[in-house]
Amino acid sequence: MADKTQNSTTDSGVPAENEVTQPLGLPRWVSALLPIVLLVLVLGVFAFTSPLAGVQSGEPLPDVTVTHTTLPSDETVVLHVTNNGPESVTISQILVDEAYWDFQVEGAGGDQTLAPMESAQIVIPYHWNPGWDLEVALVLSDGATFHNTIVAPSQSPGFSLSLLGTLAVIGLFVGVIPVALGMLWFPYIKTMSDRWLHAVLLFAAGVLGFLAFDAGFEAFELAERVPGAFEGNLLVVFGIFGALLLVQAISAWREGRVDAGDSRASSGLWIAYLVAVGIGLHNLAEGLAIGSSFALGRVSLGAFLVIGFMLHNVTEGPAVVAPVARGKRPSLKHFVALGVIAGAPVILGGWIGSLAYSPTIGAFFLAIGVGAILQVNWEIARMVRDAGGRVASATNLLAFLLGLSVMYVTDLFVAL
Amino acid sequence: MPSIDYDSAANVTERLEQRLVESLTGEANVSRRTVLGGFGVAGSAAVGLGSSRTSASSDHEDEDEHGNFGAVGEYRDLDFDPHEFLTAFNIGDSGQDNVPQQVYEEDGRTVREFEFTAVDTTITIAPGVEFQAWAFNGQVPGPTIRAVEGDLIRVKFTNLGRHAHTIHPHLKNLNPRMDGIPQNGPGVLNTGESFTYEWIAQPAGTHFYHCHSLPLKEHIHRGLYGTIIVDPDPERVSENPRDYVNYPGPITDNFQDQLVEEARSRNHEYAENDAVNEMVMVMNSFDTNFDGGNEVYAVNTRAFGYGVGGTDGNGNWTAGETKRPIQIDKNERQRVYLSNSTEFDLINSFHTHSQFFDYYDHGTTLTPTLKNVDTIMQCQAQRGILEIDYSDHDPGLYMFHAHQSEFAELGWMSFFEVV
Repeated sequence: MADKTQNSTTDSGVPAENEVTQPLGLPRWVSALLPIVLLVLVLGVFAFTSPLAGVQSGEPLPDVTVTHTTLPSDETVVLHVTNNGPESVTISQILVDEAYWDFQVEGAGGDQTLAPMESAQIVIPYHWNPGWDLEVALVLSDGATFHNTIVAPSQSPGFSLSLLGTLAVIGLFVGVIPVALGMLWFPYIKTMSDRWLHAVLLFAAGVLGFLAFDAGFEAFELAERVPGAFEGNLLVVFGIFGALLLVQAISAWREGRVDAGDSRASSGLWIAYLVAVGIGLHNLAEGLAIGSSFALGRVSLGAFLVIGFMLHNVTEGPAVVAPVARGKRPSLKHFVALGVIAGAPVILGGWIGSLAYSPTIGAFFLAIGVGAILQVNWEIARMVRDAGGRVASATNLLAFLLGLSVMYVTDLFVAL
Repeated sequence: MPSIDYDSAANVTERLEQRLVESLTGEANVSRRTVLGGFGVAGSAAVGLGSSRTSASSDHEDEDEHGNFGAVGEYRDLDFDPHEFLTAFNIGDSGQDNVPQQVYEEDGRTVREFEFTAVDTTITIAPGVEFQAWAFNGQVPGPTIRAVEGDLIRVKFTNLGRHAHTIHPHLKNLNPRMDGIPQNGPGVLNTGESFTYEWIAQPAGTHFYHCHSLPLKEHIHRGLYGTIIVDPDPERVSENPRDYVNYPGPITDNFQDQLVEEARSRNHEYAENDAVNEMVMVMNSFDTNFDGGNEVYAVNTRAFGYGVGGTDGNGNWTAGETKRPIQIDKNERQRVYLSNSTEFDLINSFHTHSQFFDYYDHGTTLTPTLKNVDTIMQCQAQRGILEIDYSDHDPGLYMFHAHQSEFAELGWMSFFEVV
């Protein structure tokens, strides 16, 4: 009988006594390190003896990406290139509109050779014409060519304080002011019944859901222009999951604090801040788009576009404040902080986008925004449920749909 | 579409055709267009429409179901008239208003002086389609220069365009400074700069000039090209007949006289030249969307500029205001100074319908290099003289076009209307 009891224990789990038993009586740390030591040994043998040298078939193909182009003057074209391939490449010649042309490679250590993952600028003295497409091609030392078309070229603004000022004003109008205006709905939201407040929260979730798709598509679109070596699409996936899981981990930690009796952690203010961070990240990406459009000389920020952005972003205001509609009203400084976190990143994004534009940074920020937004929506649903509401009630579903619709319609105005 | 009675439509067509024939054989005063306009009105009246439009295609309800071919609409920009351009020769003492010019003697040589400016402008290449051009004296093709063998051509060139330009002549030029290339002489002329090019008009023939700045493709296909005609000097022909023939045998007196006679007919200073109807045609093309391929082809810039205004595809046609055939007198000898400036395509061609002609490649010989052909081809900068005779032909419409069907359908399709 005693044997049987022991067997059933073994079936259901390993007894602690067996777990600590090491083979050959070695200490624990040895078994932790052993696989690593062996891996290093195998790699060493591989590196020094090249056992697969005879197996190699051909050479890896060269892969160079023109991430973007800038036109600092009407006599100059600058190509920003990255070597994605596993081998170094030498840019031997440049073709402009199928004619060999003068050029210089800058930032590649003085020569025309790019090591793997190395980036450089190719400066071409060329009297281009505003609006007339230019087709440039890199001719590598082995004759391989990489083509890039500069569609409807126009001069890049370059760095100036006035540009930063302009972008700050634009950011103020399209980001900070609309969000602040939207937050002024707070007193009205406070007077709402639970049912309608939940509808407003779901409306906010709809707004955020739309933004998640919007930013997500854009991130993957941008990822196509990320140099191949950085795996643009996977970078976006990593950004989305990274942000989602990080914010969720913080959230789980907060719940732990609530269970432990920390009253501050349990308030709706926490969720409001999460919403503000999510929207802020989204607006950062929006600012990046505006700034990079400036950098690429492709912006016609007419009044219509600014109005479009304002209508679009004003709906983000109530999304931020809805979570604090119940309970004690937070102090005014929290509202200011919420507004700044949600709206001001447009300015920051504009600056980054105009000064240090790269598709890699753009795609990554967009992805982080998506992850943060997804987590916020999760949080909003829980908030409604915790307050005794039903997330999928008819009113709430329609409110969510309304949020999506409003964003879709206002988004039509902001095609950059 | 209202239903129609085909029999009555056929009757109307027959009646109108009869009237057309009468008008062409009878009253010379009645302009063709008036007749055709009336034709259109009557046609539309026959099917119960009040339209007075002169387009045959909209008037004939028995229109071909396949639809009709050609660019829609008329040219609105009347700054350039391709019909006027055909015979606009700048010879120094007379020529176009936009080409300041004079003629004078210097060191026993006739000097023909022209003022050229390069400008950035917009030209119309198909009805409603504009093209940002770089142009000599605001026109594409550039002004046709005409001189006599041995003259000095002096071109005072000023560049007013945003880009640097030159003028490179396809002449036998003995001074490398005058070659008009970036690597030689004054090199490229930047905005506001001037230079006076001097070229000796030689050899006799029809020649090509163009901007030689880089990128060459851009500078040529944006419109910086034109024709230089060098008329043979009959006296020189008489002295050196062998220079003007591709023929090794003995030159008899009779043959020599024949060559001198041909030279006199080519030389604008001789009366014999007046008996010939001379036309300048530059085969050109335009890349409107920067894809390194042409969207519009033409002779003398305008797609279908020498085409018809409208047709029902059943043999009836009307002349348009701006799209109309080149009218030629069947009793006159026709001479075409043809050159090819087409960029992006390897060759262009010239084909005459129902007609064979003599072709003088580069125009440097006084005997044809191709006798009795109906199609010739030219690479870029190649040129030649076509001598065409319609005296045997019945009056009517005779097509000529590039026999690259693609080019023809993209605008390089034209007509002579032999009257």
